[in-house]
Amino acid sequence: MADQILMPKLGNSVEECLITEWLKNEGDTITVGEVICTVETDKAAVDVEASAAGVILKILYPVGEEVPVLKPIVIVGEPGEDISHVDTSVTDDAPSKTKTDSVNISIPGDTLLKPVSVSETTIKNTNTGFSSPRARNLASAEGIDISTASGTGPSGRIIERDILKLSSGYAPASAAAIDKMLGSGGVRPAVGSGIGGRVLSSDITSVSMGSNVASIAETREVPVKGIRKIISDLMLKSLNTSAQLTLNSSANAENLLRLRKRLKNSSESLGLNRISVNDLVMFAVVRTLKDYPEVNAHFLGDKIIQYENVNLGIAVDTERGLMVPVVKNVQNLSLKDFASGNRAVYDRINSNTILPDELTGATFTVTNLGGLGIESFTPVLNIPEVAILGVNNIQLKPVKKDDEVVFESFIGLSLTFNHQAMDGAPAARYLQSLSHNIKDIDLLIAI
Amino acid sequence: MYDIIIIGAGPGGYVAAERAGKLGKSVLIVEKEYLGGVCLNRGCIPTKTLLNSTKLYKQARNSAPYGVHAGNVSFDWEEAMSWKNEVVETQRKGVSFLMKENNVDVLNGIADLLEGKRISVDGKIYEGENIIISTGSSNFIPSVPGSKGANILTSDEILDLEKLPKSIAVIGGGVIGMEFASLFSNLGIKVDVIEMMDEIIPMMDKDHARVMRREMKGVDFHLSSQLLKIEGKKLTYLFNEKEESLEAELVLMAVGRRPNTAGLENTGLDINKGKIVVNEKMQTNLPGIYAVGDVTGLSMLAHSASRMGEVAVNNICGIQDRMRYNAVPWAVYTSPEAAGCGMTESEAFAVGRKVKTASVLMKHNGRFMAEHGKTAAGICKVVVDKETEVLLGVHLIGGISSELVAGAAAMIESELRVNEIKQIIFPHPSLSEVIRDAVWAIKEE
Repeated sequence: MADQILMPKLGNSVEECLITEWLKNEGDTITVGEVICTVETDKAAVDVEASAAGVILKILYPVGEEVPVLKPIVIVGEPGEDISHVDTSVTDDAPSKTKTDSVNISIPGDTLLKPVSVSETTIKNTNTGFSSPRARNLASAEGIDISTASGTGPSGRIIERDILKLSSGYAPASAAAIDKMLGSGGVRPAVGSGIGGRVLSSDITSVSMGSNVASIAETREVPVKGIRKIISDLMLKSLNTSAQLTLNSSANAENLLRLRKRLKNSSESLGLNRISVNDLVMFAVVRTLKDYPEVNAHFLGDKIIQYENVNLGIAVDTERGLMVPVVKNVQNLSLKDFASGNRAVYDRINSNTILPDELTGATFTVTNLGGLGIESFTPVLNIPEVAILGVNNIQLKPVKKDDEVVFESFIGLSLTFNHQAMDGAPAARYLQSLSHNIKDIDLLIAI
Repeated sequence: MYDIIIIGAGPGGYVAAERAGKLGKSVLIVEKEYLGGVCLNRGCIPTKTLLNSTKLYKQARNSAPYGVHAGNVSFDWEEAMSWKNEVVETQRKGVSFLMKENNVDVLNGIADLLEGKRISVDGKIYEGENIIISTGSSNFIPSVPGSKGANILTSDEILDLEKLPKSIAVIGGGVIGMEFASLFSNLGIKVDVIEMMDEIIPMMDKDHARVMRREMKGVDFHLSSQLLKIEGKKLTYLFNEKEESLEAELVLMAVGRRPNTAGLENTGLDINKGKIVVNEKMQTNLPGIYAVGDVTGLSMLAHSASRMGEVAVNNICGIQDRMRYNAVPWAVYTSPEAAGCGMTESEAFAVGRKVKTASVLMKHNGRFMAEHGKTAAGICKVVVDKETEVLLGVHLIGGISSELVAGAAAMIESELRVNEIKQIIFPHPSLSEVIRDAVWAIKEE
């Protein structure tokens, strides 16, 4: 009897997943738990494991297709089995039942919201990243980057008229340029270098066609898909849609380093040895956020939602690219519980078992490049969050003490905030408080 | 205070003035000599007029195969010169009319560029929001012994020549040199061309240049030859490490032209190797100051100057525009004519671009054979990108090539490909069909 493997439901907010790669072909024998394909939600790329064993009799959707969750994607069974009777159109748990308008922000139910609850209309503007096949075909033929379109279809889906609206602002492209766009997947500029701004084939990529033939042969093409695609879309959207800027400061790290040393050398029975400098800094971040609700907030265009709970996003560099797992409701955790929660999340990231829901819902994010010797940088906001803290390396600075100058350790802090949501002074005040709390971290953990 | 002050009324300056005036700008144009510049007064127009007279003379003497027997054909240089002067004066009046019609103020005199977008002419100061420098270029005379002699002329003086010489030596096988060589050789005057490079007319397809030399039967070419000295009628030149000499009554110096930047050295303008440096909007390094035409040293052709003038005016008026050099057509009005637009095969090779080419002979074209006979030389060669089949260049020699090349420019500017050009309808019978035939001759891969 043939079995069906369904598109898994990857979180409450996920309605559809895009198939990005088939790792198995029709005719392959699979066992339960084997990865058969990779799919993308608007937040994450996920491996789909086989829920049934047998021979793949039919793959129901090609790469690039968006499939509603809980829809069959594969039929497995005995080789040569007749599958004509298998009904793949309906499933027992139709996704429409769980359909919500909330797509991008999933905050735990017990989160306290101020001043009002998230309204449906606010969320509707959020681009779901989904688009109709007609819209995609048109965008591809016109060489338009579909992610620049704002969707006006159901649930913010990008539909044909959104692409038509966008393409009306573009200069015409030569047939040769359109062919090149379709061939290379390149995106055309709004105005080209040809007659009357006509887009020519040389405008499609920055690689010059004539003078650099030798170096073209040496290049390697890396497709932008999966996590890379998600990051590229989110980062561009962040910079395109917010007024972000960065404040740089530093905190005296003498006590921090002393405390870290004591923790590391403490008795193993206490379970404190693995608490890192980053855990300590993030602990200070969380505790300081409690006093600054304007920093622990989301900016939604017509309203700002401030959270009392802290859901901390932690930027992690993985083999697959940047991922931001979220540790939730950490505002009242002890240092020990906070650090062990962080480690559990890192483990799930590294073993690739993190769930899409664990990658959403942050109210504030921390990213740390200090281990790589970075002295200051400009973190990019994880919108709609209003701020993100970049943690830099530790440097010695001269400090005047009594009548002599001594060198003390300072840890660099770079706070990017959205000026749409708050002004420089409150952001600076948060950074200053954080700096004090890091300096007195030994006192902070006692509170 | 003017919106735009233009220095120099050649094809760069006066076209800029006309366009700016049409856009409602207040414009002052300053010219030290005649409206129309070198092109109209001592270049394009007078040479084409004289060349036409000599071509008619040559045709009349060679029209028997077509059933026309013209007896006692003679050529009167004086009459040809006065017709040339009439054409030039009429055209000059045309420019003057254009200036008036577009409310452009015209000032005769020499302009000095001052600080702060001001100029002085005869001691009077004028101020402009923007300044366009279109001062053109001048003939360059190499300093070889004897180059200051009375029988040494440039294209400036030769257009006032009173009496035809028995023989002439042309120094330089570029466009100017070749047109005068053709002019005198059409009249049966002995012509020698001394050229330092190994081929005439650098932008020309090498195969076509060879054909042109072969077709100009009355001209002796001395390529890879360097003029050493002139002693009276005797010219000594170095060829293959040996000194050789020839005799000529007149010597035409046509080795090239230099941008006119005298007086601009201390204005703060970025001038590199005698050329004003500009970007693709024709802006110089000084805000509000533009330069167009020969003075930039880029594409020293009248029509390039005019287009540059338009680009400058458009950018001043806030209209997006940029100068492109990949589809600038050129033409040489020799007998036979030659013209081209875009990349030649050897240019493509030099930049490592893979191309396909195809050539067709003009004698297979109906109109060409009817008008030029069975054996006349004529070739059309097209260069297309090997991968995309985009048309990159069209190169012509023979017939009225200069009139065909505008079509090629339109195709190259629009980035048309072989299959698209095949869908264009060409009039029959016309020489323009050679472009279509050459495109059809491109081999499919």
